[in-house]
Amino acid sequence: MSLAISGFLAVVAWNDASAQSQETINPAPTAADWAAIANLPDLSGVWTPGPLDRFPPGSTTAPPWKPAQAAQIAALKKLEEDGAPKNIYVNCLPEGLPSSVTQTLNSVEFLQTPGRVTILGEFDGNRLRRIWTDGRPHPDDPDPTFSGHSIGHWEKGVLVVDTVGFLPQVFIPEGQGVGLPNNGDMHIEERIYLTAPDTLQVDIVVHAPKVLSAPWKASRTFTRHRERKYDLVESSCRQGDFFDDLDTLGNAVFTPIPKDAGGAPVPPDQAQHSSK
Amino acid sequence: MPNFTLRFITALLLLATPTLPTSAHHSFAMFDPSKPMTFSATVKTFQWTAPHAILWVETGPIGKYGAGLWLLELPTSPGNLSKMGWSQTALKAGDKVIVDINPIRDGRRAGQFKKVTVLATGKTLTVGPISGAQPPK
Repeated sequence: MSLAISGFLAVVAWNDASAQSQETINPAPTAADWAAIANLPDLSGVWTPGPLDRFPPGSTTAPPWKPAQAAQIAALKKLEEDGAPKNIYVNCLPEGLPSSVTQTLNSVEFLQTPGRVTILGEFDGNRLRRIWTDGRPHPDDPDPTFSGHSIGHWEKGVLVVDTVGFLPQVFIPEGQGVGLPNNGDMHIEERIYLTAPDTLQVDIVVHAPKVLSAPWKASRTFTRHRERKYDLVESSCRQGDFFDDLDTLGNAVFTPIPKDAGGAPVPPDQAQHSSK
Repeated sequence: MPNFTLRFITALLLLATPTLPTSAHHSFAMFDPSKPMTFSATVKTFQWTAPHAILWVETGPIGKYGAGLWLLELPTSPGNLSKMGWSQTALKAGDKVIVDINPIRDGRRAGQFKKVTVLATGKTLTVGPISGAQPPK
């Protein structure tokens, strides 16, 4: 081995050792950690939000939009009323917060394990949202995501959650076709608690200083179901964009379904037809 | 069952239309609830997909619409439909049915699914609230 190469390997080894000594670890849970969970409110299981309807779920109080945003919202509402809705959930990217609380029409599941509460969603290709309850702070410079970076702690039976680190494109929704991106600096507070053995309430406060003139406060109720038929299923937001097909070699494949401007699928033989 | 004609037509149209919108998750305001339609048809495929299941049916001419394939979009996913009494095998290719829909406003043979009645059994399936779920606040 040449001196140059062995010197290089020595530097790599030194860097590895240095990195290892600084690595923060998630300690293995102890029996006491698991036992402590039994003393917390039991959020485990599958929860359904409100029934399917045409009204914006969540609060009836609309977000307090700034004047420029209020004008855009009015225009989006007009498009919706005119039957030409704008599709705000582009390309089935994740809904993110606050939509996964205020807007979703699909089930969620809570998992309580030492150091974290995990929320799975039967949507967004099976959403995974993690609320760290191990005392860690937010990172100084979190990588922006759709659901943000969440830390939580328990206060008298209430899981108090603080979330930052959102992508600016994440929507604040009033409906499936009405909503605007937060445009940056969004910060969300939640209080998650049981109001009855199988009833959960999420109080959410959305701070979005780029688009809202004041924090938006909303609440949503979820109902727990222990029946097995409510178990979460795999649910890809894109699968409905395709139909089952065979290619010329006989392989099972997905073939795209054409869409109208608002995202509704139309028959392939009418993809380009429009009487408007 | 796959349909080679359908695939062939789609392939041609995809070649001609390079930028198709591709979002399954969308508002249903493009469907017109003020002009509901009821017609008989034959099930071609019941597509059990998220976020919206799709009922494909074939029928003859109806008013201004030519004969052909209709795409009827259900407003929710298999995960929710399975809690309302639906299953992947609730409708089968060849089933003679009567469907209630809200048609898409642009005149294409597409619409929002509301109800289906299977003629052979009289069985009716709709999309409604999930038992036990809370109303929106």
